[in-house]
Amino acid sequence: MAFGGEEIDEVMKEYLKDEEFTKDEQKQKLIEKILEENIYLTMEIQKLETELQEPTGSSQIKEDIPETKMKFTSLENPEDDSRFSNISCSFQVSSRVPYELQKGEALITFEDEEVAQNVIRMEKHHVNIMDIGVEVMAKPVPLNSGVRFQVSVEVSKMKVNVTEIPGELPENQMRDKIELSFSKSRNGGGEVECVEYDKQAGSAVITFVETGVADRILKKKDYPLYINQDCHRVVVSPYIETHLKKFQVFSGISKRTVLLTGLEDLYMMDEEIVGDSVNIHFQRPKNGGGEVDMFKCCLNEICVAYFQE
Amino acid sequence: MSVTPGPAFHRRGSLLRTLQEEQARLKMRLQELQELKRGLRDSPQDKVPFPVPEVPLVFRGHIKEDMEGPKSLVSNLQISYPLSGGSALVIFDDPKVAKQVLRQKEHQIQMEECRLRVQVQPVELPVVTAIQVTDRVSSQMSSQRVLVSGFPAKLKLSEEELLDKVELFFGKTKNGGGDVETRELLHGGVMLGFAEEEVAQNLCRIGQFTVPLGGRQFPLKVSPYMSGEIQKAEIKFQPVPQAVLVLNIPDVLDGPELQDVLQVHFQKPTRGGGEVETLTAVPPGEQCLAVFTTESS
Repeated sequence: MAFGGEEIDEVMKEYLKDEEFTKDEQKQKLIEKILEENIYLTMEIQKLETELQEPTGSSQIKEDIPETKMKFTSLENPEDDSRFSNISCSFQVSSRVPYELQKGEALITFEDEEVAQNVIRMEKHHVNIMDIGVEVMAKPVPLNSGVRFQVSVEVSKMKVNVTEIPGELPENQMRDKIELSFSKSRNGGGEVECVEYDKQAGSAVITFVETGVADRILKKKDYPLYINQDCHRVVVSPYIETHLKKFQVFSGISKRTVLLTGLEDLYMMDEEIVGDSVNIHFQRPKNGGGEVDMFKCCLNEICVAYFQE
Repeated sequence: MSVTPGPAFHRRGSLLRTLQEEQARLKMRLQELQELKRGLRDSPQDKVPFPVPEVPLVFRGHIKEDMEGPKSLVSNLQISYPLSGGSALVIFDDPKVAKQVLRQKEHQIQMEECRLRVQVQPVELPVVTAIQVTDRVSSQMSSQRVLVSGFPAKLKLSEEELLDKVELFFGKTKNGGGDVETRELLHGGVMLGFAEEEVAQNLCRIGQFTVPLGGRQFPLKVSPYMSGEIQKAEIKFQPVPQAVLVLNIPDVLDGPELQDVLQVHFQKPTRGGGEVETLTAVPPGEQCLAVFTTESS
């Protein structure tokens, strides 16, 4: 159901035929206003209907991680030799759980958990905003689940990935050719420990005996592979392993942040003024409050707030 | 739907009434939908079907508008870069100096009687620029793994001790357990991976256990463990702006001497060098790891 501009005009035109009506300008204005409001309501309804149809999926993290500057911090001398075979990168990821603040709601984070829990226990709070008494309700914030995990990335200094290997020779023969070509130091190669060859994919992983060979080969994007009299250029790339560790789904629980509701009717007022009044009210111990770390109030539009550890 | 003025409209006042009635209907429908949405929010649909540990979260002021970046927190980023024998890591104060030094692939280091020929290259670190991880709720659950939870807040045990005690208990068939293959300490729980699926399933069925930890008995819960997997990880190589890696240093000097000679060379502005923050020379036959972390940490 959609009200188009033309349809309104049609209705108005029909009206204007009624002479008696046109004299009654006030009524005309009222009708226009109601028509506009109805259009707005219809749009809001459509939005909500689409939103509620979306199925909720399982937890997923899909992120683009912005570039961060790295700096040299320290030196390490581990006993374990294997730590020198890779450049290792590790980091932790934990989801920020979103909470959609509706119009008329606010979030307040107290420094002290006891204070937050007390505010929730008291439930009803009578707050004075610009001489208007408002009943504010305090509740715990219902939060969804999130995930945390660690990622480790190992870039090998001993292995290289090879792709676009032609499939003309039988498996064993090609494996030998690969080993021979990658052993040639004049091409940047070195003594090969082993070759894992996948004929179907046209790819291989070559492990060298010494570190340094891989780095040398990877200075270029390709490498010469000799098959009988021909030379094919195969593509080389770093051999990288990624591991997921300490993966955990958790349920978010808010102990210090409280949800305040009941501010819907104040949408005509300045959001900042309302926010300040409520904030100050909850800072006073006599109101059951205490030191406030963070406050956000939402009067005019929905906003998504993020919860984190 | 288009509004065609019907007979009712020609009566003054009834269009107004019709519109007002329409508005009342629309308002009711909107309220219905808003309540439905609120209901869904208050008992979130995506709450996982198994008990999972609760992690206290806090609102610190981050809202959607001002978050251009990732919605997840990335922390504890650390990269270990191996330095092999016959190489050196130079960190300059000014990244421009590093850039200048790197312009020449080969450097000749002047000493009293001879010259040392070395190569320089940038230090390229692997950084993850995009990541996608999903849990296996909908597909297959990891049926050999369980999550042990319900640990009291202030246990006086180290990580190793706790893991050992949990593994010892759940490793015994008389407790309903079996051979433990893997174990991991998580926030608020321990993940145990068993050799046999039936052991894991059996433990989940029983659900509650009284486990001795550090001299006292504690009630712990066992539930299926939801594992995750990396769907995609995009890795790019990023140079460290102030760093220069020196390679193929001939084996003619001792450690401390080598350090000095290199330092002098790279600090000479006449040779494109500049103020050096740190210099680490690795003598041939030795190796060490250079650790890099994020600037802000």
